[in-house]
Amino acid sequence: MDVSQKEGAKETLLEEIAKCRGCRFCVDVCPTYQASEGVESMSAYGRLQIIKYLLRGTLIFDDALAYLLYSCLQCRRCEVTCKSKGQNLDICEIIQLGRYLLSRNLVEGSRSERI
Amino acid sequence: MAVDAKKLKKDLAKIVGKEHVFTDRPTSLAYAKDTMPWDVEERNMPHAVVRPINSNEISLILRYANEKKIPVHIHGSGTSLVGLGRPKTNCIVLDTGRMKTLEVFPERGYFEVGPGYHIGKLRKALAPYNALLPAFPGSELVATIGGFVSVNTSAHAVDAALFKPGDYVLGMEVVLPTGEILQTGTESTRKPAGIEVTKFFVGSEGLWCVITRLRMRLIPLPILKYIVAYYKRTDDILDTVMAMYKQGIPTPMFFEYLDEKSSKIGFEAVGLKAPPGAVAMMAIHSSTQVGCDEKAKNFLEFLEVGNPIEAKIVTDKKEWDQIWSSRAEAGNYIYRLGSTFGSEITVRTDKLKEAFHEARDIILNLDSYKGNEFFSFGHIGAPTIHAYAFIPTKDIPNQVKIAIAREVREKTEDLNIKYGGCGGEWGLTAQRVPFLKKKYGQAYYDLLVNLKKTLDPNNILNRGNLEGWM
Repeated sequence: MDVSQKEGAKETLLEEIAKCRGCRFCVDVCPTYQASEGVESMSAYGRLQIIKYLLRGTLIFDDALAYLLYSCLQCRRCEVTCKSKGQNLDICEIIQLGRYLLSRNLVEGSRSERI
Repeated sequence: MAVDAKKLKKDLAKIVGKEHVFTDRPTSLAYAKDTMPWDVEERNMPHAVVRPINSNEISLILRYANEKKIPVHIHGSGTSLVGLGRPKTNCIVLDTGRMKTLEVFPERGYFEVGPGYHIGKLRKALAPYNALLPAFPGSELVATIGGFVSVNTSAHAVDAALFKPGDYVLGMEVVLPTGEILQTGTESTRKPAGIEVTKFFVGSEGLWCVITRLRMRLIPLPILKYIVAYYKRTDDILDTVMAMYKQGIPTPMFFEYLDEKSSKIGFEAVGLKAPPGAVAMMAIHSSTQVGCDEKAKNFLEFLEVGNPIEAKIVTDKKEWDQIWSSRAEAGNYIYRLGSTFGSEITVRTDKLKEAFHEARDIILNLDSYKGNEFFSFGHIGAPTIHAYAFIPTKDIPNQVKIAIAREVREKTEDLNIKYGGCGGEWGLTAQRVPFLKKKYGQAYYDLLVNLKKTLDPNNILNRGNLEGWM
């Protein structure tokens, strides 16, 4: 996904995240999950859910959310696992788009990305 | 009751250290979201997530929670398929993820492990000791041994061959809901008979205690031999399973199947040519090579009872890995094509075929959704029927998802009642409480509630699961 083309494409983002089966196989391969000794929000699955619920309006942009999105190393180990388990989500691309929404929020001063 | 998040964080930090307490909303959300397909609601959001390292810290957390009357929800890895993993009310989530100690004592015949150890990693850690970990969940890459024993599920393993994981638990350290720390069981491989509370806590689904340490037997790895059998119809496999029990044939350690449609998806997912119909795959076990060879040969001969198109012993490891993987991948790839709503039906073995046909009719005639398909695959030798409603889209409103899940569950649970089974590999509380009442009656349910009240007078642990809250 090209971030520059994703302005206003939150629906697409939700559709992408909806492909996640919730199997959590991506969790244990995430280096930030490992480094945090297993904090769920520091995993690929956790970050996907955080973006989904940001778009659902349950979450707003705050320092914790910014930290969780920007702590992703974009190493794509989660994507290898996801692909091997048949779902094949572009997890890092989704997280990048979440970061894009965050940076736009910093410019525009909005805290919510609710659709 | 209003909870002061700042004070809560400060109080919990005094127990576990501030780096192990989280009150930010994104982290709370990540712990509220489990595998259930419907959305997290505000009532599911934890006030805080706390990550203790040992039983003393858990004891202090539970004593604090009782004093403040704040519920505590135990988190292993959130992979339960009946909603055990989702907090049912605003609470403190107690994550066992840091409790990952492992000590292996070959000279004593057991190992001791913390509840947060992931099953896949534990299996690898036990491999140098030639030990079998009697736990085979599909989620083994991330599922925890604590969660597994809390539910006491056989998962893929056939009960008659390997029994339940709880049968291998020699003792435990647990913390009661009111904070007392108990040691149970024995350090001998001879398990106590009679009233000994280990078996009371095994399978208690986080209602009676928090498991903080498990002592489990080291079981020698069996020799395995693999068989694949191709059939025209799933019915032939059902006939085979029924005959296996009727004739008293020794059950394989694993006896999995893919129905006619699932087999095509599963086989193609792993790069194999689509089979002509349904497929059964079995792992025959024995303590010696000679015994295993003989057992596999006998089982192959027995399989003729179901008129397979072909049945063979698979000796090529790569071929077997592909065939075996097709079972797991079928579920993954079917999900990729849309949405699935599962069930587990474990009926009397002599009623397996009738129950399967009725399950298929139920799934194909749902009131909550029209036009879905039927898939089935899983541990048929156990016997477990997993009947799935498949809908070829992800775009289903939240309320419709809940309605489909409820209808599939309630109607397939009626089959468990009708044909003398229980289900329960996924756990018996949370969503399955209405089934417990229907199957066993109010007095049975009241007994559970009274036990809960005795052990947990303030209803602190996993509140909502015994109440059947979604």
